[in-house]
Amino acid sequence: MRVYFRYAFRETISNLWRNRMMTLAAILTVAVSLSLVGSALLLKQSAAQASVAWQTGTRVTVWMNAAASQGELDAVRTQLADSPLVHKCVFFDQARDYKEFLASLPPSETNVLTAADMPTSFRCEPTIPADAFVVESTFKNQPGVYAVTAPEQQIRQMNHAIRILQIVFLALAGVLLLSATVLILNTIRMAIFARRREVSVMKLVGATNWFIRIPFITEGFIQGLLGSFVAAGVVTALHTWYPLHNEFALNNVALLGTNAVVIGVGVLIGSVGSAIAIRRFLDV
Amino acid sequence: MIRFENVGKTYPNGTPALKDINLDIEKGEFVFLVGASGSGKTTFLRLLLREELPDSGRILEAGRDIGELPKWRVPYLRRNIGCVFQDFRLLPNKSVYENVAFALEVIGRPRSTVESQVPQILELVGLSDKSKNLPSELSGGEQQRVAVARAFVNRPLILLADEPTGNLDPANSESIMALLERINRTGTTVVMATHDKALVDRMRRRVVVLDKGEIIRDQVRGVYGVNEGAAR
Repeated sequence: MRVYFRYAFRETISNLWRNRMMTLAAILTVAVSLSLVGSALLLKQSAAQASVAWQTGTRVTVWMNAAASQGELDAVRTQLADSPLVHKCVFFDQARDYKEFLASLPPSETNVLTAADMPTSFRCEPTIPADAFVVESTFKNQPGVYAVTAPEQQIRQMNHAIRILQIVFLALAGVLLLSATVLILNTIRMAIFARRREVSVMKLVGATNWFIRIPFITEGFIQGLLGSFVAAGVVTALHTWYPLHNEFALNNVALLGTNAVVIGVGVLIGSVGSAIAIRRFLDV
Repeated sequence: MIRFENVGKTYPNGTPALKDINLDIEKGEFVFLVGASGSGKTTFLRLLLREELPDSGRILEAGRDIGELPKWRVPYLRRNIGCVFQDFRLLPNKSVYENVAFALEVIGRPRSTVESQVPQILELVGLSDKSKNLPSELSGGEQQRVAVARAFVNRPLILLADEPTGNLDPANSESIMALLERINRTGTTVVMATHDKALVDRMRRRVVVLDKGEIIRDQVRGVYGVNEGAAR
């Protein structure tokens, strides 16, 4: 068995080296396509996470004019409390709004405003999420109200945009993965052709079929693996150097999961490419 | 050791290659297979290697019907059969030593076996001093001796030779024949297909003559024949 591992290892390395240009092309194609797959996956997870964060709790915010009188404030509060569309409301005074504002932006950008500049607001949760729009239209013309915002609409638009982006990424990745598989298939085919004398001698002296096949399979496997390592590196670099903020920020578990998928797909196309080449071109 | 029972083989284009062959070859025999091109010699050897299956009848090797072997057992059958060809079939980028060692490595023999067997077999074929040379640096006769070494290094029960002297001059043919005889004396059954009349006549071994897929003569201590087979 040890003899075999040494033999298979040596054969695989020499095959890869002999066809190094083709090997490089195959590895790079795998890398590019899997980088796209990885980015699409990160984007999808990010968007899903952000939507969930936005959809819990507050869905409608009634911003009051800074100059609104106490009477106007109380009128709005009562109406909100009485409306069957609104489940519950929390009043954010200036101090609380300022605290939230500090948390959502980097320190370099927060020093231009003070607590006194902050508006007051009611953070409301509609009974049914879709009623956010009705609440918005009911309250936006009330005296003392500056504006009513409901993120529901924006969330939908963003999700739509992200979904289109994702489809484009995955379609591109699909085409590239297909060409990567064909490239791997072709390198293995060339390796088989380059070693046809060895293969015929091996058959003659009684080497088993798997003994003959395995170095070629490992070759495709390694090409897929190396390509997916590069892609995982690219995905990790994107995640580390261009991180997304706030609700979009992903943790390392999501990154690890994405990289695992990337490597899994890489290994799969490497193995599939070489398996097809062996079935079609290695007559054992 | 080898038994053909009513073996027939027809190729897909309809030409019969072998017709109702019955033949017994004992362990340790030396048999010349003689006949014109197209007489079925090569088919005979390919059947023994189970590169093909007979259409009818059965072939027994060491008491086993090789037609009944499952596909995955075929490599193990071939480990018991050494093969030598007219065109040597050596690996051009491997040295003499590596060519012979390759045959042991690819059937999973441990390194210690390879290191003890290969020099021994190179000694037998008289090429110890050329073990580091590439095949292209050797004469035809020397290359064929490497091929014989490779075929015999695993000590097979049967050695098949398909016109091993076809590309060689008489002196080199002589040395190959001496080598095959020596291998035969170790108890290995040797089946050799050949066109070389002088060689067959001088050796006085069993001669099986094939013509159009049939055995027309089977003679112990035979000669090539004047009006038969390739001589025609």
